[in-house]
Amino acid sequence: MNETLVQINNISKIYPTGEGGFLALNKLSLDITDGEFMGIVGPSGSGKTTLLNIIGTLDEQTSGEVLVLGKHVNKLSSKESASLRANKIGFIFQTYNLLPVYTVYENVELPLLLLQMKKEERRKAVMQALEWVGLTDKMHSRPNQLSGGQGQRVSIARAMVKTPRLVIADEPTANLDTENSINILDTMLKINQDIGTTFIFSTHDPKVIQYLKRVVTLIDGEKVKDDYQTGI
Amino acid sequence: MITKLAYKNILGNGWRSLINIFILSLVLTGMIWMQGLYDGWSRIARRQMQEWEFAGGHYAHQDYDKYDSFSLDKSFAAVPPKLQDLIDTGDAVPILYSAGIIYPHGRLTPVVIKGIPAEQNILRIPTTHLRIQDPDTQILPVLIGRQMAKSINVVKGDILTMRWKEVNGAYNAYDIQIVQIMDTPVPSTDMGQIWIDYDKLNEVKALKNSCSVIVLKNQAASTYVGSPWNFVSIDQSMKGVDAMIQTKRVGGYVFFVLLLFLAMIAVFDAQMLAVFKRRKEIGTLIALGMTKRQIIGLFTMEGTMYMLLGSVLTATLGLPLFFYFGFQGFPIPQQMSDFNIAGASEPIRCYYSPIMILSTFMIVMAVTVFASWLPSSKIARMKATYALLGKV
Repeated sequence: MNETLVQINNISKIYPTGEGGFLALNKLSLDITDGEFMGIVGPSGSGKTTLLNIIGTLDEQTSGEVLVLGKHVNKLSSKESASLRANKIGFIFQTYNLLPVYTVYENVELPLLLLQMKKEERRKAVMQALEWVGLTDKMHSRPNQLSGGQGQRVSIARAMVKTPRLVIADEPTANLDTENSINILDTMLKINQDIGTTFIFSTHDPKVIQYLKRVVTLIDGEKVKDDYQTGI
Repeated sequence: MITKLAYKNILGNGWRSLINIFILSLVLTGMIWMQGLYDGWSRIARRQMQEWEFAGGHYAHQDYDKYDSFSLDKSFAAVPPKLQDLIDTGDAVPILYSAGIIYPHGRLTPVVIKGIPAEQNILRIPTTHLRIQDPDTQILPVLIGRQMAKSINVVKGDILTMRWKEVNGAYNAYDIQIVQIMDTPVPSTDMGQIWIDYDKLNEVKALKNSCSVIVLKNQAASTYVGSPWNFVSIDQSMKGVDAMIQTKRVGGYVFFVLLLFLAMIAVFDAQMLAVFKRRKEIGTLIALGMTKRQIIGLFTMEGTMYMLLGSVLTATLGLPLFFYFGFQGFPIPQQMSDFNIAGASEPIRCYYSPIMILSTFMIVMAVTVFASWLPSSKIARMKATYALLGKV
């Protein structure tokens, strides 16, 4: 049986507002096991991004308990959560968030610099990641020289280069056309199948939902459905 | 890693980086040049005063007060035996001061008569002209400075009458001839001064081997002599000039502070703009696993690198300026030499000591690092989730 990678027990998240606070997540519980290719779906404002931020240790729940890779995220110091992200968690953003002054190679290399990996090892890992996403020929290009689909593939390579246990992808296809969306979904699915990396998506894109093997639906911060499906 | 990222970011910032580096370079060049100018002036003044007036320091009679002309009539004493040996070996020179009056073109002009041995070679005053060829001559050869000659309207060869008070209180007079007009850069050896042979002044004042000051060739030769002689080191002699240069320097500091402020604003502005413009980048770096401390370090390093690159630009573009003013010098207007300021009679060559360069560099560096750290410390309070959304 696969190990539980993320354990969420009865968490709530309230954002302070002038009128007593906005309830973004309401007593939500969820377990995610190693190797899943799953998504959190729901309309805007349903709490998808908030949940991903908490799992990614970028934010903290107001109440309840979250364990990521066996660690209570709200008990981690800022340095410890940074270390967890640097070593075990990859992020893919809707707007790619590539650093414009760096080349494709340097953008992908960045997480390895944070891990203080040796130059030769870094080079091997970066080339491997660029091969996964089919962009070795663009390694010297800058982000503004890439198409949207290529930019998102660089973002996937950057998330995958350190071979993390968990990849969090927040609306990764929102800015892409159908062809590019399918391309990057194929890429991520292949990585999931080949090396077993766990992917958690937040999306309301039906193309993405088709690919998912598990779909958790949120509405107004509450889990209303948790379905397993065959996926593509 | 931080250094590499900071360097990349600076390159990526393009023109904004160049402008910052240029401003920092301008500030550094300005500060080093101005400090070099004051240090150069101070050195020239010290050298000239040593060469023309104080050499390695001097013994002064305890009653002598250079600001009180009445003290001249009582501030002399016989050369002490301890110093006579130094005088005999050419390691010291006695000078006798006396108040006097000359009458150029029939006008009464008070002067300080200074008796100095004609054969001395410790001071650059061309005393060989004071040698008296004919012991029975009634016309005494004297030396004066260029400014003095100009002010009393005399030329070489002119003969005029000089009057002084003997030690017993009687007034005496002699005719003097201007045998040489010297170009001395030290106003206190020029304006209101008449130089005459030491022995002759002793003789006409009815004294014997008495003097008011004894100038040493080397300060190392100084020894305790006791009353009525006080040793005045070259540093003590330089106090007035040093204080005057220091006053000028303080005026210059206002300019430094403005320059520093300019540099600080440039870096602060660039980094502040960067913090706002690069919020998303900061959020991404946090998501990738960078700690807040590393992010502050990154921005501070960028500021520091601006400074380092500014120094490289200073070294490249400022060097010709530094060399020009170091070798060619900064010409001082003629009027300045009328202000009784030593060192103002020749072009001031800037002097750049390693300590001055290093301290200037450190000050600008500290200001730059602070100006870079200040906006980046705001990042420490930024939530990663907000940063990713481009909020602060």
